[in-house]
Amino acid sequence: MAADRPHGPKELLPLAILCVFVLLLLFRGGAEKIVFSAVLLSYILTPVVSALESRGIGRGIATFLVLGAIVGFIVMAGIFMVPTFLEQIRALQSSVTSAKASASIQEIQEGIRAYLQPLGLGNIDLFEKAGNAKRQFGERVFEFLVKDALALLVAGVAILFMMFFLMKDGRDLKKGFIELVPNRYFEFVMDLLYKMDVQLGNFLRCQFTDALVFGILSSLAMWILGVPYFLFIGAFAGLANLIPYVGPIAGVLPAFALSVLNSGTFSSGLHVIIAFIILKIIDDFLVQPFLISRGIGLHPLYVLVAILIGGGLFGILGMLLAAPAAGFLKVAFRESLVTYRKYRFS
Amino acid sequence: MASRVRILCDVDLRNPGENAMPDFRARVFGYHAKERGECRFLPVLEPIPIFKDLTNCELAAIERILHQREYSTDEVVFRQGEPGMGMYIIQSGKVIVMTEPEGVTLAELGDGEFFGEASLLSEAPRSATVIAKAPTRLLGFFQSDLYALIERNPRLGLKIVIRLAMFLGERLKSVNQQVRDLTEKLRQAKQG
Repeated sequence: MAADRPHGPKELLPLAILCVFVLLLLFRGGAEKIVFSAVLLSYILTPVVSALESRGIGRGIATFLVLGAIVGFIVMAGIFMVPTFLEQIRALQSSVTSAKASASIQEIQEGIRAYLQPLGLGNIDLFEKAGNAKRQFGERVFEFLVKDALALLVAGVAILFMMFFLMKDGRDLKKGFIELVPNRYFEFVMDLLYKMDVQLGNFLRCQFTDALVFGILSSLAMWILGVPYFLFIGAFAGLANLIPYVGPIAGVLPAFALSVLNSGTFSSGLHVIIAFIILKIIDDFLVQPFLISRGIGLHPLYVLVAILIGGGLFGILGMLLAAPAAGFLKVAFRESLVTYRKYRFS
Repeated sequence: MASRVRILCDVDLRNPGENAMPDFRARVFGYHAKERGECRFLPVLEPIPIFKDLTNCELAAIERILHQREYSTDEVVFRQGEPGMGMYIIQSGKVIVMTEPEGVTLAELGDGEFFGEASLLSEAPRSATVIAKAPTRLLGFFQSDLYALIERNPRLGLKIVIRLAMFLGERLKSVNQQVRDLTEKLRQAKQG
């Protein structure tokens, strides 16, 4: 039997390399985020590889092309956007103390002192708080450039490496896993994996496509409104949109704050809020219906609890992955139950 | 690019020794030896009607998605009423097809024969129970893998689906004939 098995030792080499790599990263700590990201991204991008494969390109080359395109995009974005991005961050820091921003802060401070005095906020000093926030932000950026950028680069390379093997050999890895299942449960597991793959695949791909569309639309809207740092705002809003319920609100806040601080008037902040409301309506009524199968019927309460748990365990990445993870658990549980009932295991 | 890959595959098919890609390319880009036309299950797959006229290269692509399973004597392959997931080809050994709860044996199948092919197109419940009657090695070809193959390689997927439709059509004709014969016999028996 062993000699006739579909996977020889040589073909399992990528799996072995992957296992060693994963183990090494586990010892390093924080590897779970890298593994989750690689699995998730490769799962989302696998259809692109399959589409290239359907045009007669070998799977390995198709994987290489997809990852090459991603790396190329990141490099191009780095060349063209990082200087702008850094400039925007510097401008953001300096704008906190600009005359317009000072006027806005003064206005807000007076409002708080006048109306919220009974709550003990009569002596609030927003200038001190803004100064502290600016200093902390500067320290964070410096800390990131010195310490985290290298770690991020290593993580990026690790994610790309894992993605290559997951996308190229994903089918063989799945087949290898199915081979371990006892004969009696073999068809049940095949059935279950297929149904979960269809439902989750649609859900995740639609979520990420929606986030991408929302990010682009937000950037465009902010650019039209003349809000500075529109790329930063759009990227943040797109990512935040992945977090159900909480995300859209979280996405508006930095846009609102930056707009008010930059212009010194609340009316510009109001324009930003109206723009985001319109974007959300477009997203809910035009984009999402177009991206069918977005929902998998999760109760809002479960999603919120999942976001809290995800955030508590893995920070922002946990919050981003909370809804897909909750969706995965729901689909896994529901399909296991439904499929199990169809089989006669007793 | 696409045509170049196809040509490589076809050339290797005709002359497996020639035009072989360097080993590192096979490792990194996933060109396994079997994708160059070497199919280990060729003697088992070639006579199966739904794989009729497929090239070695195409059979090798089929081989990659087959699931090889080993069953001991009296082990159940699947039970009547369970969802149909796909077909099985008997690589070696023997199985019986029987109805439940009557326990009537409908057929005994051996090396190179296959069963459950209708489940490739429909998820309808299995119409009979299949049990191994000797140490048996089966090759499973499943609906989900066929769908994935159609997405990746529509030309090959279409070939298989057409062959499958033709095979099921032939079987339907044969069953219709049997029904006609039995109806005639029944009519004669009633008259007699």
